[in-house]
Amino acid sequence: MSQSDDEPDELQVWRVLSEAGLVEIRLDEFAERIKDVKRIVTGRLRDLLDFNTGVQERESAAYSLGTLTGLELKVLAHTPKPPDPSKI
Amino acid sequence: MNLIPTGVRMMKSTAKQLRTEANWPPEEGQVISFKSSTGFETDILKEVRWGLVWRDFILEDGRVIPEHRISGCPQPQAWRKISEVTDQEREECEERLLSMAGAGMDPRKRDQSFWAELNQYLAYTYLRFKPAGSKIQGQEKEKDKDKDTEKDR
Repeated sequence: MSQSDDEPDELQVWRVLSEAGLVEIRLDEFAERIKDVKRIVTGRLRDLLDFNTGVQERESAAYSLGTLTGLELKVLAHTPKPPDPSKI
Repeated sequence: MNLIPTGVRMMKSTAKQLRTEANWPPEEGQVISFKSSTGFETDILKEVRWGLVWRDFILEDGRVIPEHRISGCPQPQAWRKISEVTDQEREECEERLLSMAGAGMDPRKRDQSFWAELNQYLAYTYLRFKPAGSKIQGQEKEKDKDKDTEKDR
């Protein structure tokens, strides 16, 4: 990911979120985007555990991970199932 | 990928539609123009509300439109720093999301409150925990450093 030190924060936020596909999530991509964000949180949590630092951030990351998992399950439950090939 | 927000591309030249930071955001009750999935629409603005990352415009009919889709949105768009979001605000958002999911709401209903809030929560959580090496992540580390300093006192 390229970035400029001169880039204003507002533009940087826009660019980072656009590249991650998180400014306006396509309706059929919610489950995928939740997975992506879960991966980011899990990575951060692993770092915090490895270095045994940031107790507060660790707790918060763990809670966010739980929230994302709960949301993922609900979103997946709403995902239309592909047609059964045997019935086509 | 086109990184230029819709608001910039669709800005019209009439004096009425051109806005500046000084008279932005529009007031409640004002008719606003925005981009929807079917094209450009207008509706009455009921409320402007800050989410975890950006502002949402709530319309009279209940739809929630992110600021960058509103015609005349000043550029660069205003964003909240993640360090501005309090723990309480984040926790309340998480509770609302789980409650909406638990009630059987589907986030794939575009421009509805669950869709809007989940979009912002994912964006916020991504910015908060994404790998180090950017200014944005640095802001979060500053916040944690402050918290740890306070704890040590």
